Amino acid sequence: MIEIVFLVPLATGALAFFLPRPSGRTLLTLTGAVHLPLSILLWVRQPEALFAEYFAVTPEGLLSLLVISLLFFLISIYTTGYLKTANIRSERVFTGSMLVFLSTMTMVTLSDHIMVMWIAIEATTLASAPLIYTHRSAATLEATLKYVLICSVGIALALLGSVLIALSMDVGGVNVPVAFSALAVVANRLDPLWLKAGFVFILVGYGTKMGLAPMHTWLPDAHSEAPSPASALLSGVLLNCAYLGIFKTNKIMHAAGLGHFSGTILIVFGLASILVAATFILKQTEYKRLLAYSSIENMGIIAFGTGVGGLAAYGAVLCLIHHSLIKSSLFLSSGNILLGYGSRLIDSTGALVRRMPRTFVAFFSGFAGISGFPPFGLFLGEVFILIGAFRGGHYVGAGVFIVSLCVIFAGFTNHVIKMSFSDAAAGDRVEEKPAMVWPQYALLLTSLVLCFWIPESLYETIVHAVNSIGGRL
Amino acid sequence: MIQPVDTILALVLLSVLISFGSSRLPALIKVVAFQGVVVSIVPFFIGHGLTTGGVVFTLATLLIRGIAIPVFIYLAIKKTAIHREVEPIVGYHASLMAGLVLMVAATFVSPKFNLPQSAGNALLLPTAITLLAAGMFLLMARRNAIAMVLGYIVMENGIYLVGTGFSVRTHHIVEFGILLDVLAGVMIMAVILQNINQAFDDVDTALLRSLKE
Repeated sequence: MIEIVFLVPLATGALAFFLPRPSGRTLLTLTGAVHLPLSILLWVRQPEALFAEYFAVTPEGLLSLLVISLLFFLISIYTTGYLKTANIRSERVFTGSMLVFLSTMTMVTLSDHIMVMWIAIEATTLASAPLIYTHRSAATLEATLKYVLICSVGIALALLGSVLIALSMDVGGVNVPVAFSALAVVANRLDPLWLKAGFVFILVGYGTKMGLAPMHTWLPDAHSEAPSPASALLSGVLLNCAYLGIFKTNKIMHAAGLGHFSGTILIVFGLASILVAATFILKQTEYKRLLAYSSIENMGIIAFGTGVGGLAAYGAVLCLIHHSLIKSSLFLSSGNILLGYGSRLIDSTGALVRRMPRTFVAFFSGFAGISGFPPFGLFLGEVFILIGAFRGGHYVGAGVFIVSLCVIFAGFTNHVIKMSFSDAAAGDRVEEKPAMVWPQYALLLTSLVLCFWIPESLYETIVHAVNSIGGRL
Repeated sequence: MIQPVDTILALVLLSVLISFGSSRLPALIKVVAFQGVVVSIVPFFIGHGLTTGGVVFTLATLLIRGIAIPVFIYLAIKKTAIHREVEPIVGYHASLMAGLVLMVAATFVSPKFNLPQSAGNALLLPTAITLLAAGMFLLMARRNAIAMVLGYIVMENGIYLVGTGFSVRTHHIVEFGILLDVLAGVMIMAVILQNINQAFDDVDTALLRSLKE
């Protein structure tokens, strides 16, 4: 009965549309608090699905599910504080959409049928569009329209990719359910030409949603215009969900012996994303957009690592987990900064260390973490990807990777130092609510702990997931 | 012998050219509506043993893509101040030329794919590829948001044809494409909201100007 994990938030989400404000907030945290133990239970027990044809527990799905669940719980605590401070007119729509969004993302992680996955990813778009439009201004409307338009084209292409994979079954004369697990078993009997075509369309389709360049143009707008808790969810977990679609298709490609083909394409898209992020981070004027471009960079790193394979694939999964933890903490901190300074411009902020010391600690450590510094886990992931790239003989790719990372670090440092220490916006100390600081600390602490100690079952799950896409330790 | 399907598909190809040459939204809406109706009825002619569910889905697609969405857009542009001009980035003559090149290229590449049993319907795959590319072209080469949504629907039609033509399994998958229309609906709503907002903005600035004196 694994379906209950996404049915609970769906039900509470529907309820939240009708509840008055205070109960809606409680319901949000309560659902987060229920969802986390349910996910852990799923991890420990690994039960059968009621509709086994459509849903299944897979190692990569479990990893994403646990990240989603933990993040949502912490973000829901932050959100209760945020909603009291920020003035949001349509709060019921906001909380309801957050919960439905959680439900759809959970569904993505548990789906096994290729169409259920597709429907779930489309549903995430529908559930997150109202979140981006929360502030009801012309700018948010434009960001929402851009998001829906570009992602819809991506989803349409992913549908075409799914059709082509079904076609590869017909040409190859295979008769199994159109599910990822079933297809991986019979992969070598699928028609390779149509399978390749299907993979390309699915990569471009879900890659749009994942924010890979050159299909990333919606991402900076959507992530910067959405209220910060929503940005944290969009950036921290929605991108992972889209990656999961690519991961599972890549699994079929590897089982069919076409791993080299899919790897090359992933490397090209990954490097393109890192390069685009490096170009735009240098000249950025808004800090939320800065974080959004950093998400594009990290998605590029993950795609690159997945494409290289071997040790790099393991590094990519580590990056996936730690990027979620660190980036969501950064977006939550940026919410505090936005509430405190009332501006998204880097130039209008300053003296963060004196005016908001607690947020500063979270923001600055998050910045160190996202730049790939130890003791945060992203460091390990990136090192593994680099070693994997050198071992695999991808010297040019590794070179581009290192140079871009240096440029991004330089740009990021410049902006963060300005925000933290410059006297541009000096003034009195701003009040910081504990509920709006502790979630960030918890997220960063998790990343820090996971860098030094990975529980045995978590390690096994990662290795199990990575083995299916050509990863080796 | 010319099959009825090929006649229908030839009409679809013609509608692509007309849509590339239309400068006003109402004309473009009519062309896309026509295309939606014609593409939706293709399964009735190819028929891989159409089940009752299949018939229902096909009729639903016809109703939504051929009638509901075009009427919705038509009413929307009548009620709000959405610009009627499609605001081309690529001019009409160049667009028509691109359309012709698309069709030739699609016809040229189609035989290169190994297909299960698309015997007889020589135009099916070329038309599907043309529609996909034409939809993308309208999305990129028109600045008007409604024209972009219409381009998106043309693309959906192309995907529908790819799935419908080849086998029962792909047909089942492509039936889910009906959910894409939900996204199209959301986009249209957003465009309408945007125009209402702009209308209010205009009123506001006019007020400020009159108060100044």
